[in-house]
Amino acid sequence: MGHLNAPSRRTPGRLLAALVISAGLIGAACGGDDEGSKTTEGSSPGSETTAGGSDSTAVATTAPPPTSAAEEVPVAGGNLIFAIEADTSSPWRPSEMVCAIACHQVIRNIFDTLTLPNDSGGWSPYLASAVTPNEDFTVWSITAREGVTFHDGTPFDGAAIVDNLTRAKAGILTGNIFRAIDSIAIDPADPMTAVVTAKTSWAAFPFAIMGQAGYQASPTWLAASDTDNSLKSKPVGTGPFVYADYKPNEVFKMTKNAGYWNAPYPYLDSIEFRPIADGLNRRDALKSGTVDMIHTTNSETIVANRESGEFLSTEIANNAETSYTLLHVSQEGSPLTDVRVRCALAYASDQQLLIDTIGAGLNQIAFGPFSPTMVGYLDSTGYPEAQDMAKAQELIAAYKAENPGPLSLSLATTQDQTNLTVAQQQQEWWTQAGIDEVTIDQIDQANYIVTALLGNFQVFQWRNHGGFDLDMQYHWWHSDAAPPVGDLALNFGRIRDPQLDALLEENRASTDPARKKAIAEEVNRLFGTQCYNLWGSHTIWDILYKEGVHGPVTFELPEGGNAIFGAGIAGTFYPMTVWVDQ
Amino acid sequence: MRYVLRKLAQTIFVVVVVTFLTSIALRFLPGGTDVIVALKTGPGATKEQAEAVIKELGLDKPLIEQYFSWMGNFLTGNWGQTFQTNQSIAAEVKRGLPVSTYLMVYGQFLALALAVPTAVWSAYRQNSRFDRAATTSAFAMLSMPNFIVAPILILLFSVNTKFIPYPSTYTSIWDNPMDHFKAFFLPTLTIAIPLYAGYMRVLRSDMISTLQNDFITTARAKGVGTGQLLFKHALRPSLFSLVTSAAVNIGALMGGVVIVEQFFLLNGMGRLTVESIFRREYPTVQYAVVILALIYIFINFFVDLAYAWIDPRVRAHRALG
Repeated sequence: MGHLNAPSRRTPGRLLAALVISAGLIGAACGGDDEGSKTTEGSSPGSETTAGGSDSTAVATTAPPPTSAAEEVPVAGGNLIFAIEADTSSPWRPSEMVCAIACHQVIRNIFDTLTLPNDSGGWSPYLASAVTPNEDFTVWSITAREGVTFHDGTPFDGAAIVDNLTRAKAGILTGNIFRAIDSIAIDPADPMTAVVTAKTSWAAFPFAIMGQAGYQASPTWLAASDTDNSLKSKPVGTGPFVYADYKPNEVFKMTKNAGYWNAPYPYLDSIEFRPIADGLNRRDALKSGTVDMIHTTNSETIVANRESGEFLSTEIANNAETSYTLLHVSQEGSPLTDVRVRCALAYASDQQLLIDTIGAGLNQIAFGPFSPTMVGYLDSTGYPEAQDMAKAQELIAAYKAENPGPLSLSLATTQDQTNLTVAQQQQEWWTQAGIDEVTIDQIDQANYIVTALLGNFQVFQWRNHGGFDLDMQYHWWHSDAAPPVGDLALNFGRIRDPQLDALLEENRASTDPARKKAIAEEVNRLFGTQCYNLWGSHTIWDILYKEGVHGPVTFELPEGGNAIFGAGIAGTFYPMTVWVDQ
Repeated sequence: MRYVLRKLAQTIFVVVVVTFLTSIALRFLPGGTDVIVALKTGPGATKEQAEAVIKELGLDKPLIEQYFSWMGNFLTGNWGQTFQTNQSIAAEVKRGLPVSTYLMVYGQFLALALAVPTAVWSAYRQNSRFDRAATTSAFAMLSMPNFIVAPILILLFSVNTKFIPYPSTYTSIWDNPMDHFKAFFLPTLTIAIPLYAGYMRVLRSDMISTLQNDFITTARAKGVGTGQLLFKHALRPSLFSLVTSAAVNIGALMGGVVIVEQFFLLNGMGRLTVESIFRREYPTVQYAVVILALIYIFINFFVDLAYAWIDPRVRAHRALG
């Protein structure tokens, strides 16, 4: 999650590193409908339920196929150096990670998740061999896959799942996802099975365990690292690669897990992840041949590569995040509690101008939180679609007539120059609309996240809400997650809307794809008409790699169907599928 | 000896002041100890956790006691762990120190190695084509700061020609000398170019002045060869300004290292300091700053001693009081 508007020269790297705390918590949002390929129902292979975000139009796109010849037979061996945009985590413990996309891209090679999103728009078991509910979806049984061991030899079983989920529930951030869980225990009848009991019907629960809250770490390592801090940066999981070395801000090395349970993966002997924060530096590193692969949201780089074809490329746009300006909508005395002021800010803004000037015209303008491949996406949501300064001035004037006195706003941004430029442009627009004073507060990146969590802001630049099922947005928007300012919360804007709550709750319990789609669309319209946030654009991630590298593809899931990109967080993929010419 | 002892006493005083101010810096952060606690434990710390952090960092002690405790930890290498990554701070500094040291030494060495012969010959052949070319190019180099030179070099040598890897990854000289020098080639060049230009102009100017002295004329009359005349008789008395300039430049060199390491993504002390500031790893910043300050202080101490060696007049003048 996390940040500003259109990706641009300096935006993606540093900003994301700082802002994306909690996108890592889960991969958020709805299963999607793809612009081109439509598939059938997205129920979950291997599961008795029709869980998760599936409907007749839902599908996960796997983005354009890699430019490399996907038909070639993969060859095992070789090393990959992959430049990522940030080193955003450590402690590398699932319940403690403060994780941006780069962090997920790294750590999901060490930790497997219990479930994964599939190409039918639903979910499938992954490290778990089965995830089955009771009749009313209040109890979920998660069965560990037979024969799997952690890298340290610890067996993966029901106790391991219980340990991991219990820690996630207790985690400051991951605990928000599991707020609805009442108990987690081992099945007395089956030591390979953990039983999760929810406080309410939770049909979409498997989506909550396909991201950070579902990472499975070795209980032996977790226990040891409880008392030895130095072990926290040496993660042990069941994943396709084994931790080899970690030097903060320099390199994370991992080597092949030769005994990986999901053979024939991985193909590579080793991967080195090297953080290079600036998007253009990352591109230059690829140009110099020092690194083999990079990921980027830098519009300039993506557009230039589309034109030149200099590097092989896999663009990931499915279930994407949306960049936007976050509003604190329930602060006592704040003008933003009034929908007229919020919508006035939207009418005053010319988002397309920002996309064209700062974002090289790459990304699609957003009128709501859901990107085009997600369930609930609408071309028109009721949100102002073009700048209308006269309308903005009219709304502000109406507000001022009822609320005399100076009207001021505080807009928070990071110390990134591009973000500041955007903030200054917003300041100009909003002042023109009639806001008497718009002050810009530049906040250092580490403090930015804490400020959001504590709700100490009025207007904030952010990016979030990629994902699969609407339930993955529950903790961002439900009033349960909106305590008073000063308390930590993932509902940063402290939205307290009974209609939104009801829709989220209904979606959580629902298994009817058509109804879930209708609910998500209703949520989208609600955000549009209420102007809870000021929408920016939908993000595209591009994976660029040099000749000889056979880029990321999806893979067949053990219980059938195909995995899709963006499981833990939008924009991520599976490096275990990458191979290199020998 | 009295001169050395006086200089040593001054140096120790500066060290105490610097380390004292650094050791208590945590107390004066905006937000106070609450910020430190939040960074160390993450948001939502309990009262007990907060107290433990404050105790661990010695923030509950009187200033003097805190200083001695901090110094004790500093001298014994017990620097604790980073807030976010749980890495040993001492290990982080140990990892970064050689990188920056190599960079500073290589940069200084390359600048001097190029500047001295160029300046000597330029002075000897004053107003010749060589002199004009050398002084003009030096002037141009002086006007090119690190942050301009670095991207140009990256573009030329890494992106366009793939001759030198980018980013620079440190390799020990003992493990792989070729990779070591490849990693340092462009950063060293970036550091050395403006230094070279400054040194060349300073030394050239002093050499021209020296070459006009009577003892040079006498030496020439005695048949001393050009090489011996320039490098044995004229160079040493001309070095005073150069040495001063080189010493003064150490501070600038450290600043340059910070910038250059950021550009080349070389994980030295400069990058460690900057990244630690961004991440608000304050104890790491404390130790990194103290290390850099100590290096600066002690180098200047030795430079002061070197003055006396270079120019006996300094020794005599100071002996007279």
